[in-house]
Amino acid sequence: MTTTSKVRGLDFANLSLLDALDLAVLVEEEAMERYGELAEQLEQHNTDEAARFFRFMEKNEAKHRAALLEQRTARFPDEPRVVRREMLFDIEAPEYDEARVFMSVRDALDTAMRAETKARAFFEGALDELEDPDVRALFVELRDEEIEHQELVQKQIDKLGDAPTADPEDYADGPVGH
Amino acid sequence: MTTVELTFKDYKSKLKPIWCPGCGDFGVVASIYRALAAIGRPPHEVAFISGIGCSSRIPGYTTAYGFNTVHGRALPIAQGIKLANPELLVLVAGGDGDGFSIGGGHVPHAIRRNPDLTYIVMDNQIYGLTKGQLSPTSACGSKTPTSSYGSLEQPVNPLLYVLSYGAGFVAQATPANMKDMTAVIEEAIRYPGFSFVNVQSPCVTYGGDHQQVKAHKKWMKGLESLEHDPADRMAAMELASHYGEELHTGVLYRNPDPPRTYGELVRERQEALAGGLPRERILESFIQR
Repeated sequence: MTTTSKVRGLDFANLSLLDALDLAVLVEEEAMERYGELAEQLEQHNTDEAARFFRFMEKNEAKHRAALLEQRTARFPDEPRVVRREMLFDIEAPEYDEARVFMSVRDALDTAMRAETKARAFFEGALDELEDPDVRALFVELRDEEIEHQELVQKQIDKLGDAPTADPEDYADGPVGH
Repeated sequence: MTTVELTFKDYKSKLKPIWCPGCGDFGVVASIYRALAAIGRPPHEVAFISGIGCSSRIPGYTTAYGFNTVHGRALPIAQGIKLANPELLVLVAGGDGDGFSIGGGHVPHAIRRNPDLTYIVMDNQIYGLTKGQLSPTSACGSKTPTSSYGSLEQPVNPLLYVLSYGAGFVAQATPANMKDMTAVIEEAIRYPGFSFVNVQSPCVTYGGDHQQVKAHKKWMKGLESLEHDPADRMAAMELASHYGEELHTGVLYRNPDPPRTYGELVRERQEALAGGLPRERILESFIQR
């Protein structure tokens, strides 16, 4: 499975700048919405601290999406969008099974770190297939932003240090089926 | 029937799921939204019918018509709905307990009638909603509140079960591979006749570690990579016999020559008996006799 097989119906070797920008916007949109969904799941189950962190990530992804969308609109104001959300899966979005009842902030930070690492790997892997120099430049920029995000999350992890966090096992029912 | 440009958001209702965070069913419902968007049938042309259980809450989380029915009875109700309104795209959802324990007797009869329905079972091998009791697909030896010393029973094999009764489309998926799960569900919906998708949807609260998405990622095997021919029913049955030992994902069987559906046969019979009378006047043909 290649990195770009996470996207259906796009030929990365011939990817246009327009499609690349649309893809980048949708990658951020998917991550933004997923963080929102995970926050919603945790809010529903009173896991407020981790939910707040996911809301923070949701806002970050929203900012990034807005910046990319502005770039796209400035360069291609009238071009219709061909790339659709249905074509991509979990590129930067944390996966659904990452959420847990009573997960700690540290767990949430680890989830975000895995998502950023995955996104960086996607943009890095795609560089091997891209041929258009403008599209390559965009993907280098996107990869570098993911590196910055990784650093941001790492800082938060460092700030948390060894501060004790609640052990979810103290609250949750243990698995019974095995 | 309308086909329009839709996105998955068009199928998502405002009701917030109360599933446990991380539940496999979140991925399943997201895949269903996407499959429906790809097919392009608007929500008012879709009906979701379910039984009882965690996964049976799905109708509430979609903007389509929905009926959260009684335990194990989703299939008979869905068949009635499809017969009454053949233009509706009817999806049936439920868990392994709903489908293969209390509702188990309805499955073969739905299959032999071949209504144009898609039945999606979220198989978590446990009764999650009632706190983790043994379900029909729990592995032999499973320790649960109702089998403290380990289950002595062999599990039902949902794949072999539906293949044996002649289901025309049988597939398996996992939320560990959302892309393929969406493709499989889309294909099942497009199949003209009874289609069945068994989704190994982990219970994060009561399931064991080996049943979780992370474990699925390690042991799932795509049927395409095995060069399986989905038109070969016997090969499908052989693969299905490894349920519980292997996690095969993709289309196990697709009848290359789908028979006519129950709905088509019923309409044909109605037309023959009505002597050319329109449907709303069909009763007159019986009164005249």
